[in-house]
Formats: sequence, structure tokens, C-alpha cells
Amino acid sequence: MMPFDMRPDAVMQELTAYGQKLSHGMKNLMEVGEISTGVTPKTVIHQEDKLTLFRFNPSAAKVANKTPLLIVYALVNRPYMADIQENRSTVKALMDAGQDVYLIDWGYPDRADRYLTLDDYINGYLDRCVDVICERHRIDKINILGICQGGTFSLCYAALHPEKVKNLVTMVTPVDFQTPDNMLSHWVQQVDIDLAVDTLGNVPGEMLNWTFLNLKPYQLMGQKYLGLLDTLDDPEALKNFLRMEKWIFDSPDQAGEAFRQFIKDFYQQNKLLKGGLEIGEPVNLKNVSMPVLNVFAEQDHLVPPDASRAMRGKLGTKDYTELSFPGGHIGIYVSGKAQKTVPPAIGKWLDERS
Amino acid sequence: MSNSNDWTESWMNSQQNYWKAWADLAQRGMKVPEAPKNPFADGLAQWWQSVSPMAPPTGRDVFDKVMDVSKGYFSLAERFMSGAQAKPDGGMEAINNWLDGMQKTWSDWTQMGSAFRPEGMFSKDQFKGMNTFLDLPMDTWNRLAANVMPMPGDYTQAFQQNGAQPMQDQISKFLSVPAVGYSREAQEQYQILAQRQMDYMAATQAYQMAFGKLGMESTKGFQAALQTRMKDGKPISSLRELYDQWVEMSEAAYAEFVMTEEYQTLYGRLVNTLLALKQQMARMVDQNLEAMNMPTRTEISTLQCRQQELRRDNLKLHKDMKAMQAQLEAMRQSMLQMQAAPKPAAPAAKAEAVKAETVKAEPVKAAAPKAAAKPVAAAKPAAVKPVAGKPAATKSK
Repeated sequence: MMPFDMRPDAVMQELTAYGQKLSHGMKNLMEVGEISTGVTPKTVIHQEDKLTLFRFNPSAAKVANKTPLLIVYALVNRPYMADIQENRSTVKALMDAGQDVYLIDWGYPDRADRYLTLDDYINGYLDRCVDVICERHRIDKINILGICQGGTFSLCYAALHPEKVKNLVTMVTPVDFQTPDNMLSHWVQQVDIDLAVDTLGNVPGEMLNWTFLNLKPYQLMGQKYLGLLDTLDDPEALKNFLRMEKWIFDSPDQAGEAFRQFIKDFYQQNKLLKGGLEIGEPVNLKNVSMPVLNVFAEQDHLVPPDASRAMRGKLGTKDYTELSFPGGHIGIYVSGKAQKTVPPAIGKWLDERS
Repeated sequence: MSNSNDWTESWMNSQQNYWKAWADLAQRGMKVPEAPKNPFADGLAQWWQSVSPMAPPTGRDVFDKVMDVSKGYFSLAERFMSGAQAKPDGGMEAINNWLDGMQKTWSDWTQMGSAFRPEGMFSKDQFKGMNTFLDLPMDTWNRLAANVMPMPGDYTQAFQQNGAQPMQDQISKFLSVPAVGYSREAQEQYQILAQRQMDYMAATQAYQMAFGKLGMESTKGFQAALQTRMKDGKPISSLRELYDQWVEMSEAAYAEFVMTEEYQTLYGRLVNTLLALKQQMARMVDQNLEAMNMPTRTEISTLQCRQQELRRDNLKLHKDMKAMQAQLEAMRQSMLQMQAAPKPAAPAAKAEAVKAETVKAEPVKAAAPKAAAKPVAAAKPAAVKPVAGKPAATKSK
């Protein structure tokens, strides 16, 4: 038996089909029009510098949980991933699950924001957003859902301001930044972050993009585009692909000082887990006394599951729950399966603690 | 669009007819004309050249990437087709030759000290159009480096082609000249720049050589996967399967390599030397700006830092003021209540008065804006809590 069973005429047909797909794809591309993202209607509640706090327009009939839920997204990439399209929207699914959803959009920092620190982000911007929501609803504490790096921020915030957080949900959130399978962490250990920030000021978003793509270069820079050919004849599938592509390459620059502290304290020294982290004040995870739901993805190549699971036993809460999703870092927001399972589970968990 | 479609159909038909005729000749045992080097890939490139100006900005980048990958894919097909037409082995020999050639290339690469860039090696006919398959990690690094440097693209190529050695020799000589005289400082700065350039090039070279080794591992892995398929009776039956197998083995070899200590060191050195070079460039630009009495980046950074400190202080003051205002308001309300409350006639009525006051505090809490109430609670002043009517506050009375 030979390892190949490729007849030239079959290969010829394959190439012909390939060319036709390209041609039809080009036609669809010409007609694709604008790519919309961030689809659920929302209202600006608060603005400060580059930050915008949104409230997704609630339907009175649907809001079952009177405690509002604030989504804290990462500084890396844009938050519309959580609301990328009508039928793939974590936000919409959370609203359908009866939650009153707010979201922080950190915006695009420029050089004037270079000296923003983690203290400014967490004890400044985030805390003021929480205050704004509390004032609007005349309550003392709210529910927070942190995503990825935003989950780490939320965890720190909950440790620093436990009196303002009723329930905390973290999604694909790293806590142990040095698990053996953490590629990003492995790479960055010998990078001189002080030199990087002193030289670059803000860290270009594009630089981070290429770093993320280098996690799986052959798949993410090659195979993915060949795979696109299989769906090019479907205008909707093409649109979905372009939406995702837009999001992947839509990376804000990172405020230099915040980046410096995040990489040094979290990735290089793992202080959140080991202790010694200070963000304005010492951050002690034992102060996280409210109920916590930790959601992670089993095939996450950016935040390995063990990096999230490390939260277990490190918090002060007696009400800790894990929700494991069989998918990847992005799939947990956009896959059809995730839509049906993750937001409803979060909604139920919150309702039980409202 | 109709023009582009027509063009595409015509191109596809001509390709199909060409290969059909060529295969027929081969099957009849006739001498076949030499196949063009890259008929599909070149045709594809021409097609994209003709239609890409019509492509809308939305999705244009994506299609550019699709085309890049497609060129490599078509080159792979051509490699297979040209070797497979007249052979009964299902293209095995062609693929084996291709893999052997690739193995040799990677091997040469790891042994070469001064020839840095893979383009020179992959521009051989055998690998024409294959860069997108073989060189993705390096390509990604070059894009990253270009993003933070003032020069476009991978400018280091200019120093790495044939004939680069004399230039490097010149730089070494320049670095060995001691800086003296009135231009000493400027000369030192240029020497630092040249040294950092050399450091970066050396780091790039070491990184690329390591990727040569990775290429060898990928190829070995691919060959091993073919053997496994052969044993399992699951031959590769399409180009796409061939490509996917290649990606799988390359990704596996890459994932293993980049988690080694060796890679961590190489990567750290690569990033650090690039940044050190950029830092020196920025320093020299600053010196020139200063000489022209213009604001420098360093000065602007200092101002930005001070401004941020001021903003931070300002926000804290605002927060403190808001809290104090709330405290004052709470105290004022408390005073008003105390004034309005009937004076106790006898000690026996005292407990009743306290009870009444506590009850009265409820409307005050509701009337006071929540915004004012929050900071008060944060500040925890002893005088405030009674107004909120909380048990602890009542006790403090």
C-alpha cells in the first residue's frame, strides 16, 4: 500500500473546484457589504476618557434578575466579541436569561494614556463604573462578569472592593499564569518588559496580534484561509468569517504602564497566585468572599484550563462553582453550543443567588 | 464582476484543457512537453491581479491572505502533478523528492552562518510559491518587527544578502575606532547604534537557524505520518488531505519546539535586541530634535507622566470632596432632625426619643441620593451612620 492514492485527474478536479470556489467567493465578497458587529441595541450610560459604559436596552418583561450584571472585557481586543452577531451573542443570551446587562468598552488608548496603571483601570475606571450602576439602581453591590484579562481584573476588583460585588462570574480567566502549557507565559519570561515599555510607550495592538497568531501559525495564518474556501459560496458564512477576522485584527494598543505591570506581576512573577500583588493596595484573593462562578474552556490555547482552575481553593468564598465548556477560547462565546448552554447556566446561577 | 467571472472561467478551462491534453500524451507514451514551472500558481496570481482592484475594502485583506495560501497550495499541486503524470506510484516519487529536497534545504539552512533569509533558498524552482507553507512563524515575526520599527518590511534583509559580509566587516571596523575629539559623543551614539544593529542581526540569525531545525523536524514528522498512514491503510487521497497532514505535523513540531528553554532564550534575545535597537534610534532622533530646539519624545513623556499624576490626584480630590459633601449633608439632616425632635421632659422619655429618631431616619435615607450615601459609607465617619438608621449607628448614640 502506498501512502498516496491521488490520481492526477482527481487532483485536477480538485484544483478546478478550488478555482471555482475562489471565483464564486470573489463574487460574494463583492456583495458582502458592511460587516456589522455589536448588534444588540444599547445605550451609553457613562463616558470617561476613552472608556464607555453601555447598558444593553433591557426588555422589561425579560429582566428577571434585579441585580444588574456588568461585563468587564479585556484590554486586549474589543468587547463586541461578546455580541458579535444576532445569533451568536453572549450578551443577548444573558439578556434572554433575564439579566440586565452592562458592558465596559475600554476604547482605544493612545499615547496620552501611556501612564495609565492597573490601579487607574481597576480602582479608577472600573470602580467608577460600578458606582454609576449602583447609583442608577440604588443598590450597594452588583454582579460582575469578567472575561479573560477582564476576568483577572474583576477578580482583583472583587478582592479590593468585596462590598460592591454581589456575585462574581469569571470566564476564561487566568489566575495561575505559569502553568506548564501556557505558551504565552513561556515566551515572555525572558523578555525585558521594562525595555519594551520604555522604548515603545504604548504596546502596539498589532504586535500582540502577531504574537497571538504565532501560537498556532500554520493553522491561524494558513489552514484557516484554505478552510474559508469551503464556505465562500455561502454569503452568510462568509460574513461570519469576516466578522471574526475583523475582531481578530481589531486590537487596541495597550497603555504602557498597565501593560508593564500586567506582564511583570502576573506573567513573569505570578503574583496573583503566589501573593505580593499590589494594585493601589495589596490584592488578597481571600477577600473574595462573594459567590464565584468560574467558567473555562477545555480547549483554550490562550488561557489553558488549569490556569483558570487554579482559582479553586484560593478564594475566601464558600460558594465556588466551576463550569467547564468543551470548546476553545473564542468558541465559548460564539459557538452555537455555547450559546445554548453557557449564558443560560450563568443566568440560572446568578438568579439562584439574587 | 462579470468580466472577472468570464476571465476566471476562461482561465480554468484553459488550465483544464492543458492538463488533460498533457495527461493524454503521457498515457499514450508520447514525449510530453516540459510542464511549465508554475502554471496554476502563476495563473492564479494573474487572476487576482486582474480582479483585486474591484474587491471592496471589506474582506480585501482576507482575500489577500487566501490568495497567499492558495499560491502555496497550487505550487504543491504542481509539484505533485509534474512528478505524477507519467508515474504509476501515485506521485510517491514526486512527493519523496520534494521532501528530500526540503530536508536538505533545512539542513543547509541550519548550517549556514551568514545567509539569513529563507527567500533565497525557497526561490529555487522546487520551492517557488511555498513560503506561505514553510515560513509562517518567521513571516509572522517579520511582520511584528516591521510594526515597531521605522523601516518598512524586514529591512534586515538588506544586510543579509550576498555581499553583506563586507558591510559587516566595515561595521566591525567602525566599532573598533575609539571615539575622540569634539564629535566624540555623536560617534559614540552611532557606535552604540551599529552595535545594537549587529546584536539584532545575530539574534535574528540564531532564531532563523533554529527554525531551520524545526523545519527538519516538521519534515521528519510528516514522513513518519505518511508511514503510519501506509501501515494503517489510510492513504492520502487528495491535495487537501496532503496539506492538512503537513499543517498538523508542522504545528505539532512547532508547539513542541516553542515550549523549550532554547526557544524561550532565542525569543527573549530576539525581542530584546530589537527593542534595544529601536530605543537607540529613538534616542538619536531625540538628540536631533533637541539640537533643533524642538520637543523631544522624552520631554513629552515626562509631561504625560506628570499630567497623569495630576489627573489621578484630581480624581481622588473629587471623590473625597463628594464624600465630604455627603457627610456634611448627612450631618445637616441629623441636626435638623435633632432640632425638630421634642426636647425630652424627663429621663424616662429618653429611650422613646431615640426610638423615634431611628424611625425618622428612614425617610432621610430614602431621600438622600444614593450617590451621596455610598462615599459616606466608604469613609465610615462616626457621625454619618446614625443618619442611615443602621443599628450600629443607633448604638453609637
